[in-house]
Amino acid sequence: MLRFIAKRLASAVLVMFTISVLVFLIFFATPGVNPASRIAGRSASPAVLRQVAKEFGLNRPLPIRYALMMFHLFIKQDLTSYVNIGDKIIPQITAAAPITLSLIFGAVVIWLFVGISGGVIAAKNKGKFIDPLVMFFGIAAISIPVYWLGQMVLLVTQGGLHRSIFAWIPNGGYVSLTQSPWQWALHLLFPWLTLASLYAGIYARVLRGELINNMNEDYIRTARAKGLSERRILYRHALRCSLISIVSLFGLDVGVLVGGAALLTEVVFGLQGVGWLTYQGLQNLDLPLIMGCVMYGAFFVVLASAVVDVLYAYIDPRIRVVA
Amino acid sequence: MSLDDSSTNAVLSVRDLSVSFATRQGVVQAVDGLSFDVGAKEVLGIVGESGSGKSVAMYSILGLVRDANVSISGSVLFEGREILGLSDTEMQSVRGGEVGMIFQDPMTALTPVYTVGWQIVEQLRAHNDMTKKAAYERATELLAEVGIPNPKSRVSHYPHEFSGGMRQRVVIAMALSCNPKLLIADEPTTALDVTTQAQILDLMGRLQAAHGSSIVIITHDMGVIAEIAHRVVVMYAGRPAEIGPELDVVRSARHPYTWGLLGAVPRADVKTRRLVTIPGNAVSPLEVPTGCAFAPRCQYRMEICAERPPMRGAHGHLDACWLSDEQRLEIRSSATVRGES
Amino acid sequence: MSEDVLLRATDVVKSYASRRRSKGLRSLNTAVNGVSLEVKRGETLGIVGESGCGKSTLARCLVQLLPVTSGHVEFNGVELTTLSRRQLRPHRRQMQLVFQDPYASLNPRRTVGDIVADPMRINKIGSDAEINARVRELFRTVGLDPSALRRYPHEFSGGQRQRIGIARSLSLNPSLVVADEPVSALDVSVQAQVLNLMTDLQDEFKLTYLFIAHDLGVVRHVSDRVGVMYLGEIVELGEAELLYEKPLHPYTEALLSVVPELNDTDAPRRERIIISGDVPDPADRPTGCSFHPRCPAATEICASEKPAFVELRPGRFVACHHPRNVDSVAPSP
Repeated sequence: MLRFIAKRLASAVLVMFTISVLVFLIFFATPGVNPASRIAGRSASPAVLRQVAKEFGLNRPLPIRYALMMFHLFIKQDLTSYVNIGDKIIPQITAAAPITLSLIFGAVVIWLFVGISGGVIAAKNKGKFIDPLVMFFGIAAISIPVYWLGQMVLLVTQGGLHRSIFAWIPNGGYVSLTQSPWQWALHLLFPWLTLASLYAGIYARVLRGELINNMNEDYIRTARAKGLSERRILYRHALRCSLISIVSLFGLDVGVLVGGAALLTEVVFGLQGVGWLTYQGLQNLDLPLIMGCVMYGAFFVVLASAVVDVLYAYIDPRIRVVA
Repeated sequence: MSLDDSSTNAVLSVRDLSVSFATRQGVVQAVDGLSFDVGAKEVLGIVGESGSGKSVAMYSILGLVRDANVSISGSVLFEGREILGLSDTEMQSVRGGEVGMIFQDPMTALTPVYTVGWQIVEQLRAHNDMTKKAAYERATELLAEVGIPNPKSRVSHYPHEFSGGMRQRVVIAMALSCNPKLLIADEPTTALDVTTQAQILDLMGRLQAAHGSSIVIITHDMGVIAEIAHRVVVMYAGRPAEIGPELDVVRSARHPYTWGLLGAVPRADVKTRRLVTIPGNAVSPLEVPTGCAFAPRCQYRMEICAERPPMRGAHGHLDACWLSDEQRLEIRSSATVRGES
Repeated sequence: MSEDVLLRATDVVKSYASRRRSKGLRSLNTAVNGVSLEVKRGETLGIVGESGCGKSTLARCLVQLLPVTSGHVEFNGVELTTLSRRQLRPHRRQMQLVFQDPYASLNPRRTVGDIVADPMRINKIGSDAEINARVRELFRTVGLDPSALRRYPHEFSGGQRQRIGIARSLSLNPSLVVADEPVSALDVSVQAQVLNLMTDLQDEFKLTYLFIAHDLGVVRHVSDRVGVMYLGEIVELGEAELLYEKPLHPYTEALLSVVPELNDTDAPRRERIIISGDVPDPADRPTGCSFHPRCPAATEICASEKPAFVELRPGRFVACHHPRNVDSVAPSP
C-alpha cells in the first residue's frame, strides 16, 4: 500500500509541474500582451517596467524565466495584480479560500444526502411511479444551468417576495463562520441549494443505475439465499458496492470545486471566493491573478485525484492486489 | 419412495409445481406440473438441458424468483409445512436457516467487499442468537470442515484471495452453517475443473453424511448424477420426463428423451462410436405443445402423443410417456437406442 | 496410416513477463513450457487439460496468432515462426480456428452470410457470385438453411452459431482445423450434433483436426491420438485408446479416475485418486517435475530432476520418472 501511495504522489507532482509550465506559457503566448507590463501593472512607468524585466529575467532564456516566475509566485510571494496595483496575489487567494470552502461544505452535505437518498429510493421502487419522478427531477437539476438557477433564486428571494415569504433571507453577501455561525448558514443557504442541485441530480442518477446493476449480481442472490432481509441486502451489500463508483466521482467533484469551479455560483450570489476571484481576473486579463488561481485550482484537483485513488484502494479490497 | 405414499417422511414434497412468466411475446411456461419428493438424507438429482426449467423450479420454491411477472402454483411441503404461499419475510427464516443453497459460479457468488468470515458470520447471526466472537469461531470451524487450509487466518481474507475451488468450499460452508435439513445445489461443479469437481463432490458427500441433510443437486451432467445421486428427475421443457432411482434410470431408462440424453454423452470410460443425436432443436418455451412436449422430436411418436401423457410407473420409477412396456422392450432390443449400430 | 506430418512443433515456449508484487522483482509467467508434438495429416490430435494448463495458448501459438517466445513451428515443412505477416498469409489459409464461445466469436454487426464469406473476400478468392454460391454450399454442408444468410448471429441458437463458426473455418478449404473447446458451451444434445458434424466433415473434406478440450469424454470420442497437458507441458501423448485404458503418467491416471462416470454397467470402476491442492502458479513453477508436489507417486528425484519427454514405446510419449502401467504397454519390437 505504501508503495502505491508513494507512486501516486510522485505522479501528482509531475502533473503539477506540467500544469505550471503550461500556465507560465500564458504570459508568453497570449497575443497582444506585453509580459512585462502585465506583471508590472497597468500604466506602469518605464522604470518599473525595466525593473520587472530584470527581476523576472524577461530577456533571458525560457527555462530561467520559468524558474524566476515560480520563485516569485511561490517563494517570495510578491506577485501583484495587474489591475489593483500593488495588491499581492497570494493573500487575495488565501482570503478568498474560506468562502469557497464554506460554500462547498454545505453544498456537499446537501447533495450527498439528497443524491444518495434519491438514488436509493428510485432503485428500491424501480418501475413504480416514484422512480421516473425522481429521475425527472434529477435530470431537470442537471439540465438547468447554475447561473440561471442562481439568478432565478435571487429574483424570487430578493425580489417581490423578499418582504413576505423570504423576509428571513439576508440581502446577500457573506458572513464568516467565526463571526456568527447562524448568519453564516443563513447567508449561504440558497447558494448551497443552488450549487447542490446539479450534483444531487447526477449522483441520484448514477447511484440508481449502479444499484440496479448490482442488485442483479450473483452475490445478491447468494445473500437472499442466506435469508437476509431485503433491507440489509440493499444497504449492506448492494449499496456498499455501488458507493465505490460514487467515491471516485465525489473526490474529483470536490477537488474541482475547491479549486474554484463554483465560479458561476459565487459570481451570481456575490460570494467573493476563489471562483469569483478567477472570474475577475479573466475579465481583466489580470495575468498574475489568473496564474495564481489556476495553480491553486490545479493543486486541489491533482490532490483530490490522488486522494481518491488511495481511498479507492482502501474501499475496494480487490484493487489493492493490483496496486 | 413412490409419489403415492403419504409423504410424511419426506423432507421436501413438491406437488404440481408450475411456474410461468407473462412476457410481451406471450406466456412462458417455465415449469409445468413438476412433482417429486426428497427423503431424509437422500440426494435427489434434477437433470436437464438449458430451458428445461430445472433451476427455475428450485428458485421459485425458495422464493428467489424476483420477476414481477411470475406466477407460481402448486404445493411445496418442507418438513410437512407449506412454504409456497409464505410471505417474503417468512421465507427469509427458511432460506439459509433451514434450506441452504449453493450456486454455479463461485467466482461471483460472494460479495467482494467483505471478508469470507464476515459473510459467514452474517448468516449465522441472522438465524441464531450468537455473539460476534462465537460466530467467528464457528465460521473458522466451518472453514476447517470444508477443507480450507489455515482457517484461522483465511477467515479474514477476501473472496478474491481464494481460487475457484476454494471459493466454492466457502460457499458450501456458508450454506451449511445453520445446519439446514436440505441443501440445494445449482450446478455446483460445472464451472470447476474435473479434479476440483471430484474434490467438491467428495466433500458434499461427506458433509451430507455428517450433517444428515438431504441434497437436491441440479446438473446437466449425467455422470455427476451417477456419482452422487440416489434418485433422479429428468426434465424437458419444464416438465418431468422421468423420475426414479438413479441406477434404474441409467440402466433401464424409460423415456425416449432420457435415451437420447444418455446416448449423446461421449464417455471417458468407453469408446463411443456415433453419438446419438436428438433431431431438431430444443423447444422454444413459448411454443410448448399441448400434448407431449418431446413428441415433435421423438422418433417413436404415435398419434396418442398429441395428448399429454400422465406420469406413471411402478416401484418408484415413473415416466411421462405413452409407450407401453412391450413397445419399450422391442425398441431397446433393437440396439439403436444407444448408438451401437 | 500416412506418416505425412502436417504440423510439427518443437520446444515451443510462450512466456509473459510480469511483475510479482510479493517478490518485488520481475518473474516469468510461462504459459507454454517447451511443447513438442506432431500432427499427422488426416488425424485428430486431441489436447486435453484443465483450466490454466496452457492448451489455448498453445493453440494460438501454433497457428501464429501469438508470437512464440522460442521454439519452432513447421507447417507442411515450412518454418512459420520466422515468417513476416505477408509471408504467413498463404499458410494462414490452410490453418483455421473454431472457437469456444459461439456467442462471442461471431461479430454481432455482420450478417452470418458475411461472416462466412469474409475469409474468401479478404483473400480475394473468386468473384462475388462464386463466393455467394460457396457460402450457400457451406451452409448446407453444416446443416443450416441457406436462406438464413441475411440474418444476424443473435437470431441463432448456440449450436447453430457454432455451425456457422465451423462453416466459416471451412470457407478457405483449410487442411488443418484447430478447434479450441468448440463444444464446451453447448448443451449435451447439441454437443452431440456438432461433434457428429465435425466427424462427418473430417471424412468429407479430408481435414486434420487439432482438438482442444477439457472434457475427457469428448476428447476420447473424437481423437485418434491424445496429448495431456499440465502447467504448460505435455506430460503424456499417445494413441487415444491405449492412453485412456492404460495411462502412463500419474496425472493422466488421476484425471481419468475422477471423471464422473455413468454406472450403466457393472464393469469395475477405476480406483479414485483424488489429487489434493490447487494447480500451482505458472509464474512460480515447482522444481524438477511440475506435477511432483501433487503427485501420489513422487520421490526425491522428482523434485530435483525434470523428467524428459521420451518415447517409452513406439508412439507413446511420457515425461515421468515413475510411469505407470509400463508392463501393459505393447512391448517394443
